[in-house]
Amino acid sequence: MDVQPFSVNDGDGIRTTIFLAGCPLRCKWCSNPEGFFKSELVGWHKRKCIGCGECAQVCPKGIGINMNQGRYFGNGQDINDYTDAKIVSNHSSLSDGCDACGKCVDVCPVGARTFMVREMDADEVIEKVQRHRLFYMQSGGGVTFSGGEATSQSEFLDCLSERIYDLGYDMALETSGYFEFDKLRSVLERMDLIFMDLKIFDDKKHKEYTGVSNALIKENIAKVAGIVPRKKLVVRIPVIGGVNDDAENIEQTASFVSEHAPGAQMELLPYHEFGRIKYEAIGIEYEHPEFIRPGKEKIDKLKSLLLKYDIEIADYK
Amino acid sequence: MAITERVEKIRQNYVDTMPHISYERAWAWTKSFQRTEGQAHIIRTAQAFKDTCEELSVNIWEGELIVGTSGEYRKTAILTPEFGWQWINEEIDTFPQRGQDPYDVTQEQIDFIRENIFPYWKGKSVEEAFLARTSEATKKIGVDTGFLDTDSKWRNGIGEISADYIDVLLPKGYGGLKKEALEYMESLNEAIPEDKKKMDFYKSMVLIADGMITLGRRYSEKAKEMAEAEQDPYRKSELLEIAEVCAKVPENPPETFREAIQFVWFVQLGGVIAENPLAWNPGRFDQYMYPYYKADKEAGIIDYDTALELVECLWLKYSEWAWTISKNTASFFAGYTNFENLTVGGTKVDGTDATNDVSYMAIQATRECMTHQPTLSCRIHPDCPPEFMEAVTELVSTGCGFPAIHGDRTGYQMLSNLGYKPEDARDWNNCGCVVPHSRKTFEWTSAASISFAAALEFALNEGKSRLSGEQVSIPEKNPKTFESLEEIIEAWKKQFKYLVKHGVISLVTAQEIHKEIGQRPYMSACNEYCMKNGEDLVDGGAKYSIGPVFTGVGLSVTANSLAVIKKLVYDDGLCTLSDIIDAINNNWEGYEELREKALACPKYGNDDDYVDSIARDLADFFYDEVTSYKDLYGNHFVTAFMGISNYLPTGKVLGATPEGRHAMDPINEGVSPYTGSDTSTCLAALKSAAKMKHEIHSGGTLLNLRLNHDLVATKRGRANLGAMLQSYFMLGGFHVQFNTISNDVLKEAQAHPEKYKSLLVRVAGYSAQFTNLSKEMQDSIMARNAHEEF
Repeated sequence: MDVQPFSVNDGDGIRTTIFLAGCPLRCKWCSNPEGFFKSELVGWHKRKCIGCGECAQVCPKGIGINMNQGRYFGNGQDINDYTDAKIVSNHSSLSDGCDACGKCVDVCPVGARTFMVREMDADEVIEKVQRHRLFYMQSGGGVTFSGGEATSQSEFLDCLSERIYDLGYDMALETSGYFEFDKLRSVLERMDLIFMDLKIFDDKKHKEYTGVSNALIKENIAKVAGIVPRKKLVVRIPVIGGVNDDAENIEQTASFVSEHAPGAQMELLPYHEFGRIKYEAIGIEYEHPEFIRPGKEKIDKLKSLLLKYDIEIADYK
Repeated sequence: MAITERVEKIRQNYVDTMPHISYERAWAWTKSFQRTEGQAHIIRTAQAFKDTCEELSVNIWEGELIVGTSGEYRKTAILTPEFGWQWINEEIDTFPQRGQDPYDVTQEQIDFIRENIFPYWKGKSVEEAFLARTSEATKKIGVDTGFLDTDSKWRNGIGEISADYIDVLLPKGYGGLKKEALEYMESLNEAIPEDKKKMDFYKSMVLIADGMITLGRRYSEKAKEMAEAEQDPYRKSELLEIAEVCAKVPENPPETFREAIQFVWFVQLGGVIAENPLAWNPGRFDQYMYPYYKADKEAGIIDYDTALELVECLWLKYSEWAWTISKNTASFFAGYTNFENLTVGGTKVDGTDATNDVSYMAIQATRECMTHQPTLSCRIHPDCPPEFMEAVTELVSTGCGFPAIHGDRTGYQMLSNLGYKPEDARDWNNCGCVVPHSRKTFEWTSAASISFAAALEFALNEGKSRLSGEQVSIPEKNPKTFESLEEIIEAWKKQFKYLVKHGVISLVTAQEIHKEIGQRPYMSACNEYCMKNGEDLVDGGAKYSIGPVFTGVGLSVTANSLAVIKKLVYDDGLCTLSDIIDAINNNWEGYEELREKALACPKYGNDDDYVDSIARDLADFFYDEVTSYKDLYGNHFVTAFMGISNYLPTGKVLGATPEGRHAMDPINEGVSPYTGSDTSTCLAALKSAAKMKHEIHSGGTLLNLRLNHDLVATKRGRANLGAMLQSYFMLGGFHVQFNTISNDVLKEAQAHPEKYKSLLVRVAGYSAQFTNLSKEMQDSIMARNAHEEF
């Protein structure tokens, strides 16, 4: 997991975002690929590296500067095969590869080796969250749970959200919607704002691009709408040019929302390529020229479709 | 409303022309002094002021509504040889060519000045007196060194005054002041020595008032003359109105908004003629102008747009006159910036919100005129109206570097720390860049610049300059033999104390000279208690006489350097102190890897107590040491972390530093993080800065940050910026100012300056036209870290 202070687009005011690692989906456009993995993960930022070799010297596994050379995850090279299983490596004769002991992270003088996923206990997270309490108070901000998939560590999420609830900070949750509702019920009830993705309406296409069916997601959207007040639920579409930016997809989603989650807002988030640098750091190839970032005009046009269904548009820019 | 055609025309001229040197004032002043030999110095000064007001050429420029110029050029830079003429003599030939703040001047002018003006002042100027009285040891460390500098107090006029418009000038007018001075004289007995001295003071008040009254009348006559010759009926009526206004003010109290604006400009112009001052502050403009606006509006004789145009005309007047300074001073105060600090917003003395229509007008005028003056400051109190916060942050988002944003309560605490009464402390305004100030005060607000980083260099180099090898400070042992961080800090303290001591010696010397030949009858006339007490400012006439301010530079560089030594040498044992000394002696050449390690150590500006606590300890020591001294008047010296642009010249004289900085690179200003080293978030930078005890550094603290423009492009983004400001002020922070122009724009401006003449950027505590800055200054602004996360 990771904690990022000073987020401003995932809810009101100035926020701290808590990224919980692990995700049941494998969206081909994912911008946080480190979130696929639940175990600790070290990355290598080539652009920052000065080639001093300190990391290689301290590595108990004999891994070189380019730790991604030959690193692979799980048993295959297809994104859908990346698992939460132990990450293995074949870049040395040692069969178990990098186990994220972090020795290289400690010695790297320029921060080119970093933990992309790390273990933190609740106290550590709460301490980081508390640091910016004054800014939440002044701005009406708070904490946002994100991922990976925030709900994939449901017990930890329950524990964190309970403690933060007691501190009185505003809380928001960003989720793929792919979770067991009953397990999450108390977490959901504590939230001041919930963002749920409905990435592609057509189930077949959803499976093709995310690896899972959207039936559970649709079911959960309706259930969540039933337990949170109006305008406290935002159904999001990450708009990927060439995938789901067609009017039909947007209208189908809007129609679904107005019928099954009346009062929910919607938000359209244009696809961006900022995740590329993370793929590079953990050594996964990322080449998707078919995904296009939609322009402002396109987004405006799609937004106007939502209005037909009397849906309020959320905007946190 | 968009800017009017009139204002746009004046603005274009302001953007396109270089200031021109005028010797009219210096020549009139010199001739007057030749006539008054032997008289009391205060009388001579006041007489010279009056004579100059009678002699200066009177010009009303195209389109002007607000009139008055200090010489024959629309953008005039005047000379004040009585303070210092030697530097002018040395530099005047290169004025038009110099890199930072050039002035136009003709060969004929130069010849005239050399032949007629300088010879009279030989041996008489403040500068010469200072140098004659200063020891070699003090000169070695504190004259033109960049380690310790005090020359703004003995080479130039002082300024650093906020005119008392509320209790003195506006209600009385100069006619009223004259009457008052004559009445006081009536009650005095010349046979009593104290009274005799007071009579000289009041005589000088009468002369000052006469000078100002003359100035107004001459402009009135000129306008009448021009109206007669004017063909355009519209302009003719404008000129007649000018004639009418100037016949009334500044002799009489103004009664309308229009008259009050002209009055305020005359007061400002008088100060320019008297001293060519730095930091001559209009003060809380919205507070004293609002009653006129309100009355006129209720009477139906003015609307918002008409008032705004007048305010914009005033803004251009503030910007058209240029402060004439030496090349060295210009490197400290780059961008023709004369620091006419104008404050809006905040709370009234009774604690209620003080914002009004004029507050918004001032912000709008700055946004529309994009002039480098006035130096606009906003006071933000905890219950600041959201509309005002939006106006402030919206101005930030234009990237012009204005306004300087200040925490209302911290300003109050800073003055309380100096013993101000609550009613005066609550009424604070800004002086210069970021000094909390009062219209009841006499204070040298920017007296000494003292380098924390120089003290570290001396501590780690046996008291010698690393670049020149010269023994400029007291000896210290071989740095490779230090055995602990505590020992190094003790050595730093020893060197720093030596710098403070010589700063004190220099400033007390300058105070002695000013007490002899630096009387300030003009500024004293703007001060309520000088008139009441019959005493000049330099004789302690003001309600509050505050000790001179030491401005610390290089706080973060020094704290970062000590943190590097602590971490690499003593905590982690990754290298020896010897290695670090060798590396900085070699300007890091051959020590690139060690430099990377040094750069990776904790840096101030990231909310990391490892280093922030060192910075706070240094700042506390600075306060304890400086305030342990008293000045000529028995007042404690004062500390500040201001900015000016002194992080460049003070960096230029230093060798490499342990935190990874190369020799001659800039250091840092105020409590700002070192350029590019605040890599976490803006919130962390604010939290680090807030750890310094702002309220004890009563000379002001300055924090400059850069924000990516995208992040303040929306109303919502600006609301978050407002929340950040409020948080910083709640934590006790005093001032923060932002640059929000993207580097792409700045690079483009560097390549094509002709297209970006009006681009304003934040330098430090003030804004200047980007293209008026030297290349190195431009580069250093681009290097400041942009906080992209927000």
